[in-house]
Amino acid sequence: MANIAAKRIKREFKEVMKSEEVADGTLKLELVNNSWTELKGQIAGPSETPYEGGKFILEIKVPETYPFNPPKIRFLTRIWHPNVSSVTGAICLDILKDQWAAALTLRTVLLSIQALLSAAEPNDPQDAVVAKQYRENIELFHLTAQHWTNVYAGGPNVILDFVQKVQMLTDMGVDENQARVALSTFDWELERATEQLFS
Amino acid sequence: MAETSEAQASASAPGGDGSEDDKRDERMLECNICLDTARDAVVSMCGHLFCWPCLHQWLETRPSRQVCPVCKAAISRDKVIPLYGRGNTKQEDPRNKVPPRPAGQRSEPESAGGFPGFGFGEGFHMSFGIGAFPFGVFTSTFNFGDPRPSPAPRGTAQYDEEQFLSKIFLWVAILFVLWLIFA
Ligand SMILES: [Zn+2]
Ligand SMILES: [Zn+2]
Repeated sequence: MANIAAKRIKREFKEVMKSEEVADGTLKLELVNNSWTELKGQIAGPSETPYEGGKFILEIKVPETYPFNPPKIRFLTRIWHPNVSSVTGAICLDILKDQWAAALTLRTVLLSIQALLSAAEPNDPQDAVVAKQYRENIELFHLTAQHWTNVYAGGPNVILDFVQKVQMLTDMGVDENQARVALSTFDWELERATEQLFS
Repeated sequence: MAETSEAQASASAPGGDGSEDDKRDERMLECNICLDTARDAVVSMCGHLFCWPCLHQWLETRPSRQVCPVCKAAISRDKVIPLYGRGNTKQEDPRNKVPPRPAGQRSEPESAGGFPGFGFGEGFHMSFGIGAFPFGVFTSTFNFGDPRPSPAPRGTAQYDEEQFLSKIFLWVAILFVLWLIFA
């Protein structure tokens, strides 16, 4: 790995560890390997959002050309958000692409991703299905996001109706994650989700 | 006064590997790209400090979108100001130095060809090629690994001529070295 990249990541790692966000549990950062090319981040779901109370884990890959090019970051924890793929966890955030600036750090990037959870941009979506629900049925979007936060990120809010519907499909032999995606996609209408799953 | 002594303390232990934590004063002079103490420092019109090599690489990475890595204000090679500290007696504009770019720009023939002399039958060829003038390099780099077809076959007039020339160069090289030693 290029010298400047490793050196910078080491520095940033120390800085994050000393930050108040780590102290208050907003952020976490850990190494995945000893070559400083891969890390794991964790952000707390912001309060007053459907993600509140959840812990979201992120995969961070540092390119050879860092910091001249951005780190590659995606959600490992599944999340229902217009700017994150509900399937792959890929994030649509300008600073991770063409708006990257070399002075941004892992800390500022993680905080930006956390801010994205508070302020979705449905007009620049990563996941068209989620974005459509966000635009057309914001209440249902909130409930769905809360349900996903509960199931995948340890959030506190159990949405009983959704849990039961997923259970119905898994009883029919459908994979749990697949059932959840189908139901979420079809606004929790059991018939349409079933139809799609068994077609 | 506490600040002054702290500044001196950190100045006496110049940063670099980041082994000493908490050098808050020094962070004022850190490059915004490598986060190390800025070397060949330049400052942008928006007031942000960088090493010139770091900023140069940033500008090269996205030539179509030249913005300050900190505040995203417009930035360009001509609109940065080099900073000269007291220790910097020459006041050489860092922008005039060749920024450290991928190797190859200033590489010398010797390093480019590895050890071209090896494989050559005659020992003096090798010492000649490396010591005086990289003559052998040019022939060897193009047929590396081959059984060296380039020099004329033994016994021909051209072969003799080459041997003769080589010896002359060898003697010139020896004389040059002697001159270096005794002059
Ligand atoms: Zn620098
Ligand atoms: Zn700036």
